[in-house]
Amino acid sequence: MSTAVAIFEQKHVPQPRQVGKPGGFLRRTNAVTALVSGVVLAAIFYVATGAIVNAVTGGGQQDDLSLPEGLQVQITMMYVGWILGFMGGIGAFAGPIRWFLGHDLTYADAEYMAGKDMGRKKFWKYTTDHKVVGIQYLVVMLVLFGFGGLLAMLIRTELGITWAEVFNPNFYNSLIGTHGIVMIIAMIIAVSGPLGNFIVPLMCGARDMAFPRLNALSIWLLVAAVPPLVSNLLMGGIRDGWTVYQPLADQAPVGMIGYQICIIVFAFSTGIASVNLITTIVAMRARGMTWSRVPIFVYGVMGSAIMGLVWFPMYQYSQILALSDRVLQTSFFTPATGGSVWLYENLFWLLGHPEVYVIVLPATAALLELMPVFLRKPLFSFKLAIAGIFGIVGLSAVVWVHHMYMTGWAPQSNYPFMLSTELISIPFSFLLLVMLGTMWRGKPWARLPMMAVYAVIWNKVIGGITGVYLSDTPVDQYMHGSMFVVAHFHFMLMGAGLFGAMGAIAYWFPKMTSRYFDERYGKIGFWIAFAGFQVTFFAMFVAGLQGMPRRVLQFDNAFNVANWVSTIGAYVIGIGMLVFLYALVISWRSGELAPGNPFGAHTLEAQTETPVPHENFPVLPVVTSDPYDFGVPDPYELEDEELIREAEGASKVGAS
Amino acid sequence: MSTLDERPTPEADEPEIPTNRPAPLGIVSRWLKRPYARRILQLTVVITAVIIGLTFVMVAFMNMSGGPASDIMNEIEKTMFVLTFVCAPLMGFTLAVITYSWWGGWGMVPADETPTEEGPAIRTNGVAVVVWVSVCSMLAAFLVIWGLVELATITASSYGSVPSNQQPRDAKAIDINVTGQQWLWSFEYPGNGRVTSDVLVVPVNVPLYFNVTSLDVLHSFWVVEAGVKIDANPGAITNTGFTPNKLGTFNIRCAELCGLHHAYMETKLVVVTQQDFDSWIREQGGAKTS
Repeated sequence: MSTAVAIFEQKHVPQPRQVGKPGGFLRRTNAVTALVSGVVLAAIFYVATGAIVNAVTGGGQQDDLSLPEGLQVQITMMYVGWILGFMGGIGAFAGPIRWFLGHDLTYADAEYMAGKDMGRKKFWKYTTDHKVVGIQYLVVMLVLFGFGGLLAMLIRTELGITWAEVFNPNFYNSLIGTHGIVMIIAMIIAVSGPLGNFIVPLMCGARDMAFPRLNALSIWLLVAAVPPLVSNLLMGGIRDGWTVYQPLADQAPVGMIGYQICIIVFAFSTGIASVNLITTIVAMRARGMTWSRVPIFVYGVMGSAIMGLVWFPMYQYSQILALSDRVLQTSFFTPATGGSVWLYENLFWLLGHPEVYVIVLPATAALLELMPVFLRKPLFSFKLAIAGIFGIVGLSAVVWVHHMYMTGWAPQSNYPFMLSTELISIPFSFLLLVMLGTMWRGKPWARLPMMAVYAVIWNKVIGGITGVYLSDTPVDQYMHGSMFVVAHFHFMLMGAGLFGAMGAIAYWFPKMTSRYFDERYGKIGFWIAFAGFQVTFFAMFVAGLQGMPRRVLQFDNAFNVANWVSTIGAYVIGIGMLVFLYALVISWRSGELAPGNPFGAHTLEAQTETPVPHENFPVLPVVTSDPYDFGVPDPYELEDEELIREAEGASKVGAS
Repeated sequence: MSTLDERPTPEADEPEIPTNRPAPLGIVSRWLKRPYARRILQLTVVITAVIIGLTFVMVAFMNMSGGPASDIMNEIEKTMFVLTFVCAPLMGFTLAVITYSWWGGWGMVPADETPTEEGPAIRTNGVAVVVWVSVCSMLAAFLVIWGLVELATITASSYGSVPSNQQPRDAKAIDINVTGQQWLWSFEYPGNGRVTSDVLVVPVNVPLYFNVTSLDVLHSFWVVEAGVKIDANPGAITNTGFTPNKLGTFNIRCAELCGLHHAYMETKLVVVTQQDFDSWIREQGGAKTS
């Protein structure tokens, strides 16, 4: 916008007419109005649908079934009411309605929506500023992790108390399902949400994301999507694991509708956020930031966004069809009436596997970004890192059937999918070499983000080798569906994803909150959680090797010891995470104030002041090199050259 | 690197001149003289040995309940060793580098100080990249080939033949129909007078073929110590099989979440001698339970 003004300054550009005060309807909306209108509309929809159902079925002529069809429709409409009411109440529909009425946004409107001079209120509103959205994502992510972590503790408690059933099977099965999907959502947004929104536009040298209003839409859709999911625990639960395989999911109580609505809405949120990130990265980079000068973190987020954009619709589609089976009595996935369970499994895993890379890639790329800063060395073989990222993005499309080796869907397909799955270790090895090469002969600065690098490489190596076992169909024939798989993907998602996200957040915390992340408590919490993590999941590997299936609440006595150890480890993780959370809270409230570039990074986000001004940069930056020009000439190479020169000299002497 | 390019190229007709330029092997030995190189290599060897040792522990855990009880399980355990041997040196090297760096082998700047010196500006290293990428690619290729051959082997052993082309199977093989339902397994012996049992009793050293299905939701038929697993799908029949090679009692579990009492959906595999099996069938057949 500023360039256009600069070029055509002398001409008069007619501005749209200001209607009312800047912001218009949005002046009156915030999280509270959203909550109220969501609850009210949900209640209205519930009651109205109930009345219609009663009228159609002739007034309570329901059979005495546990799952009357009328109730299914009612609950579905209740959730639809909640989503519409919440999004209306936050002001998401104000933009389209204004456009329909012909009231284009003025500059003053845009400034109001970006939260200019609004103080803390802007965090509770439909604010378009990417920095506000980043903070909102951070808080939502922390809440989700807290909730999912609590469920994890309950699961481990049940599994640790081997002599009794603490929870009834229905609640236990709902726990594992809800823990799974809450953590998956939390991990998907863990890096791309807070850092993708806050840091990526800064790194690109942009004033905001490409589509600021879509940015606000994506975060508030996420906020709207979570309550239906959580409410499933009050409505009979989702007792089917996070995969909610059909036809078992059809037997579940109405809580399942909450899951389905959540996924359908969350997929919109992710798609919108992905489009926004990709467009920002492609179109909004600073002058001079050619593709070989784009920071590696931006590449990582872009790769993740591409996968999310392409594959999330598959998962969304599976849930739309499942909801239709449930409410409209269609039969996409019900074998008894001609549906196919394998269709569901395929649609599910088409996202289900790329989603792992959606989670791991940005966390890895964040570590690649901070390693040169803490080692004062250039990123080793930058191009190889890019090749690794896009190799993973490409291959992620053709590996999903390895989750279905043992389903009997198409045993022939095990051959090509084993091939592609094992090939994906090659781009991963590229990223590993980049990490090792950057670390090579560097003098690390022992701050928390650097510690996360060590922790993540360790976890990734273990997750990687166990992944090699699982990718191999014969071995998977033993491992599939056992605790071994659970331990493996926790090493990847939590070990690489979450610990990486912790390091990344500690690294960019000063930029986001103007305060240093508390080094002491942060490290204590981090290492306690790391130690507990090793204990928990190594013990879980043992249980899996011994033959313990996953998602059970009682088991053979042979698995007792492994489960006791695992539960103790899980409590240690819990303590570590609480200490880390404490560090985060005290740093945010009263940490040491940080300068604009606390760690001496060369990326653009470190070149603007902290707190970041309203439009990010007083003058838009121009980029002249990649951000990894650290280091001094290699002394060993100089020594080698010295030797060569001596040799040359000797040869010259010999010649003359 | 630039000085290498600027070196004056010797005239073609110039006679061979003895130089003290390091020979290719000299480069390696000079590299080994660097203080960190030997240490990292030693660590690599130690960690690799530990990882290989751990494989024995892993397989011991897999065999804790009495396995391996079939030809397939033997193949699976062999494959685990091969996979670990192939990956262990790479893992060992990686862990050695991070351990060395974390331990401060290259020095360390304390958290409360600010780094003052810059590291060596190594942008890339052609040799390292080429070696690493080709080694990793070759290892991955080896894993793929090994895996494909193993898969073909166990598939042949599971099905005896490809079920779809109706090739004759081993004549003495026993067909067993496995049915999963919430939350129990039942086994029918169609070749033996449709005897039905909720415990899988089989003779040793005879190929078994299973036709697996489900009455309600997805289950997964997992004969733990035999290393065999296949989903039981409602409305479809899936196949698997194995040849038990050990007498004893083994575990059958459901490996796919199938509802409330999934955890309790387990039964036993009892491998007996042929004579015991025949008399068991006679007992069951006499009762004519179904």
